[in-house]
Amino acid sequence: MLHFLEYWAARLALLGVDMLPPAAASRWAAALGSLWWTADRPRRRVAISNILRAGVAADAGEARAIGRASARHMGMVLVESMKSELVLDDLERLRVDIPGDVAAVLEDPDRGLIVVSGHFGNWEIAGQWLSRYKPVAGISRPMNNPRVQELALSRRQRRGFRMIPKYDPDPGRFLKLLGDGEILALLVDQHARRGIDAPFFGHPAKTHTTAAMLHLVARTPLTFAVCRRTAPMTFELSLSPLIEQQRSGDRNADVEAILRTLNTHLEAAIRRDPDQYLWGHRRWR
Amino acid sequence: MNLIGDSLSPMDAEGASEILSRLRDVLRDSAVEEHDWDAVVGETPIESLGFDSLTILDVLYDVEEEFGIALDPKQVVKTRTVGEIIALLEQNGA
Repeated sequence: MLHFLEYWAARLALLGVDMLPPAAASRWAAALGSLWWTADRPRRRVAISNILRAGVAADAGEARAIGRASARHMGMVLVESMKSELVLDDLERLRVDIPGDVAAVLEDPDRGLIVVSGHFGNWEIAGQWLSRYKPVAGISRPMNNPRVQELALSRRQRRGFRMIPKYDPDPGRFLKLLGDGEILALLVDQHARRGIDAPFFGHPAKTHTTAAMLHLVARTPLTFAVCRRTAPMTFELSLSPLIEQQRSGDRNADVEAILRTLNTHLEAAIRRDPDQYLWGHRRWR
Repeated sequence: MNLIGDSLSPMDAEGASEILSRLRDVLRDSAVEEHDWDAVVGETPIESLGFDSLTILDVLYDVEEEFGIALDPKQVVKTRTVGEIIALLEQNGA
């Protein structure tokens, strides 16, 4: 019954997004985010704790302000992702900075690419834009409600961008995808039960090893993407130069070195725009 | 023991047997799931070993380090049995 109600609530929310003009839909979503911040006390406490722990706020008052702005931002992310067609082909709304070594990989149909980001800015715009070069598979954790999951997937798969589940019994699926010259897009800042500790703002955080291991084993080029909002429905997408890690023979040491680099990129983006980060998830457990 | 086919010469079979033994050791050390690794033979399907798309990467890294070779991922994903992995390792100089 709860899943049924959630599904229809999501359908109604999407109907509102579709009916309103983009700017109004964005304001509406930001207001919903603000409402969520007020209503969800446990999540609010997690967010304030994380902001203080990361050291991006001087005191609890500033942390609350960043947290509320972050909640509004996440509401906007939802709308922007639904309305991404307004952004993707508009050079005024999406400025892109791609280093030469990454551009060479993107333009080579035979070479796969691993693109890592975090819950910062609008990571889905980044994935959707990159699909103009080659197919993009974004790894996602399935939602608890399968009907809402199906609805979300139907709205998020655009152009050559598709979502794939994190776990799958086919052991070769990532290797095959990259071998076919596709892009694998992953978020590095989700709690990983089977991951390894990598410092995030100076504190150890269990981090998924998939991106690092694929770079080491498949020898696929690896880059970090940041897609920050500079104005409503306006973004700046930048990719890092290729991140390269030579194998030392110590698997965990190699993986940790890569994860440190990835986290450093993410931290830099967050320090610049702390209100564009999803603080309300338990990154440090 | 038939590792990867009946057409192996005795020397080939000996080499394959040694590779299988080393491979079992790597699998034993790398795998997260419990498994009877001594029961693994050439005909054993890879899918029966319990690896997923994440854990297989750890194993591949360790296999390459053990044998001092670099495997082509496109070749690896085509393999279906342990024997085919052994053949691939031999082709790459293991």
